[in-house]
Amino acid sequence: MNIILNGKQFSIDKKMSIKDILVQNNIGGKNIVVEVNKEIISKSQWDQTILKENDQIEIITAVGGG
Amino acid sequence: MIKLRLLQLWVVDKIMSLVIDKKTYKSRLIIGSGKYKNFEETKKALEASGAEMITVALKRTNLGQNNNQKNLLDYIDPNTYKILPNTAGCFSSEDAIRVCLIARELLNDNLVKLEVLANKETLLPNEKETLVAAKELVQLGFSVMVYTTDNVQLAIELEKVGCVSVMPLASPIGTGQGIKNSSNLKSIIKNANVPIIVDAGIGTASDATIAMELGCDAVLLNSAIAMSDNPIQMAEAMKYAVKAGRKAFNAKRMKISDIAVPSSNKTDTLS
Repeated sequence: MNIILNGKQFSIDKKMSIKDILVQNNIGGKNIVVEVNKEIISKSQWDQTILKENDQIEIITAVGGG
Repeated sequence: MIKLRLLQLWVVDKIMSLVIDKKTYKSRLIIGSGKYKNFEETKKALEASGAEMITVALKRTNLGQNNNQKNLLDYIDPNTYKILPNTAGCFSSEDAIRVCLIARELLNDNLVKLEVLANKETLLPNEKETLVAAKELVQLGFSVMVYTTDNVQLAIELEKVGCVSVMPLASPIGTGQGIKNSSNLKSIIKNANVPIIVDAGIGTASDATIAMELGCDAVLLNSAIAMSDNPIQMAEAMKYAVKAGRKAFNAKRMKISDIAVPSSNKTDTLS
């Protein structure tokens, strides 16, 4: 199954949750926001949100800026 | 006597304080967190500047990084500093609103710096999209500090739609050209009931002082500190520059004379 993660295409197993994706990519849950198809998924939903074919996932954090 | 002194100190403190969205700040300097060599330098510059508010941008995380890799927010404590997320890199109201919603989720706060740019070359604000986004964000419950041009009428409109602060540029982002149109800034200040903060274009300490002498409520800058040879020293210089400018503004400068006027009394001279 294919997903787009931070603009790049990835092939993942079926029935993976947001939390699984974060763990797989070594991303801690602190200081990030997750969007699926431009909709914010709150942290409490990461476990239960199962990704679907062609989902677009964005993992966003704060960086330096003026 | 002691009571009177305390009252005087309180009044002075109030005059010297900045209020944005009902929160009081002692420092009238807001700094950005971009372009520093590392997070440690960002933190040191922030401390040296005396600023209580710091802007951040929101971007995609790096994939495949070390789980223990430090994040900017590990260095800037949101309990100590007010984190002001910006919408840098947005060219439409739609994108800017999306970033603000992400910022609110990340920081659990409604305060945002709205910037909607017209194009990648000039980095000048897109006036129409900025106004559309500001209006919608206010309706969504955001407290909007808005980056804008030095267009006086637009500044009035942005205040009218409910922005908590209007932030006109001194000159284009990252140029360090200083204040290009002080008449427009003065006019914006004269017509405003919300804090006017010069944002972008400040190049060195004297630029910040001039902005404050014009009557700006605060100055927001990033590159002037981060791109100097010694960011920590420049951060400190900016702290004093903003204070000096504000004090001079409160003290009201002398009138400019076309002819020379001696400093000493004309009578009882030796010759």
